[in-house]
Amino acid sequence: MLFEFKDIKYTLGNESERNIVVSGVVDSGEVLIVRGPSGAGKSTLFRILSRLQPGSGGEAFLQGKSWLQIPSTSWRINVHYMAQKPALFDGTVADNLAKPFETRAGGQKKLDQDRAKELMEQLHLSLELWNQDARTVSGGEASRLAFIRALLVDPMVLLLDEPTAALDEPARQALYRVLSGWLKAANRAALLISHNNDYRQLEHIKYVDIIKHPERGD
Amino acid sequence: MESSVIPITNLQLAFTFILILITGGISSFLKLGLLKSLVWGTVRTFVQLTLIGYALTYIFQINNLWLIILIITIMCYIASRAAVKRTPNVSGHPTVPAFLSLVASTYLVGTIVTTLIISPDPWYSARIAIPIFGMILGNSMNGIALSLDRLYLEARARAFEIEAMLTFGATPWEAIQTSVQEAIRAGMTPTINSLMVVGLVSLPGMMTGQILGGADPREAVRYQIVVMLMIAAAVAIGCLILVGLSYKKLFNDDGGLQSFVLSSRK
Repeated sequence: MLFEFKDIKYTLGNESERNIVVSGVVDSGEVLIVRGPSGAGKSTLFRILSRLQPGSGGEAFLQGKSWLQIPSTSWRINVHYMAQKPALFDGTVADNLAKPFETRAGGQKKLDQDRAKELMEQLHLSLELWNQDARTVSGGEASRLAFIRALLVDPMVLLLDEPTAALDEPARQALYRVLSGWLKAANRAALLISHNNDYRQLEHIKYVDIIKHPERGD
Repeated sequence: MESSVIPITNLQLAFTFILILITGGISSFLKLGLLKSLVWGTVRTFVQLTLIGYALTYIFQINNLWLIILIITIMCYIASRAAVKRTPNVSGHPTVPAFLSLVASTYLVGTIVTTLIISPDPWYSARIAIPIFGMILGNSMNGIALSLDRLYLEARARAFEIEAMLTFGATPWEAIQTSVQEAIRAGMTPTINSLMVVGLVSLPGMMTGQILGGADPREAVRYQIVVMLMIAAAVAIGCLILVGLSYKKLFNDDGGLQSFVLSSRK
């Protein structure tokens, strides 16, 4: 099993009745769609799974190894969270795509420029953006650039939080096409939050629903 | 007589009452509500400075190394408390890291200045050490307060970027680099700016004091150069240490951002 999370527990807000407990499994090539109403805590689940914030219980496993045994820096590369709002840094688009390789953990690799440009073309982004100030790109361009950057990080599990929210229909389809291609390599899986049900072209889809935990919490 | 201090007699000191009346008059005329603070502040100024005058006379006379160290360390502690009060955006009370950074920067720079540059005999002369260390403290206190406050502000404003860096496998230190740079820059900027305008816009207090005390202005200037540069060095060291000691408080044990950093995010 590539990635598994068991009884991940967390509370939304301060109300104890909003305790959530959720489990799920994805194997190589699979996509796990995380469903639930708005405000149900889907993004929070992703943040917990990528260890950006702690939950109040539960455990996740990457290739059978518990997250307790993996340092958070390498965990976050391999269980990589792409936020709904793309984070852009000062500098050009190229600088932004190279950002993951500035860290010590990510610095063993360098930005593969050819691959980055190839992905830009597949996602209908003009190569003229390459040297453009990243703060001047549009919302749709920004979210596609963040998606490209996430692929360049080369994680095992990609946590995509509404990656198509800012995209028009052709760009959405292009993004899922690229994602499908990416998933074909060994040891890759994705978790996806999407309100649009626009992911029909993805294969090997599974679902997990976020529901409130029935018992009142601690 | 050019080379001696003109003493201020008690009667002459009493004439400062005119100055207090002017300040108080403005406050009551404009209903600033500062009268009570002004009176209390005036009393404290008289009492604190009179006491310190006697204390310094005594300390200079016995000139004991351990006593000097004790006094300077207490001054560091008081300065760290004052610095922490000037950091409205900082959660918790980082008095301990502020104290450590002031102790380290003040002793390092102060020792260099007193032993290598001024080198009195004995090298720990209280008459030199206490004013020098005091000036370093007074200035680095502001610098470290500015830089700590800015660190928290920047981290909140850049929480999104910091988290993105974390998802790229950055350590907390790597993820918060930009905020750290901004924080240290904020702490050092006033000092660097004062290096630009000193002598043109203002005559610094120490130099003015030496000139009033009858010193040759050219000598006073040499001292002032040393003072300016030692303050710059102490501020840089103090900011670096304090930010280095403080940034981890913005992260949890697993290296994620603390919720208070995220809570102000839109």
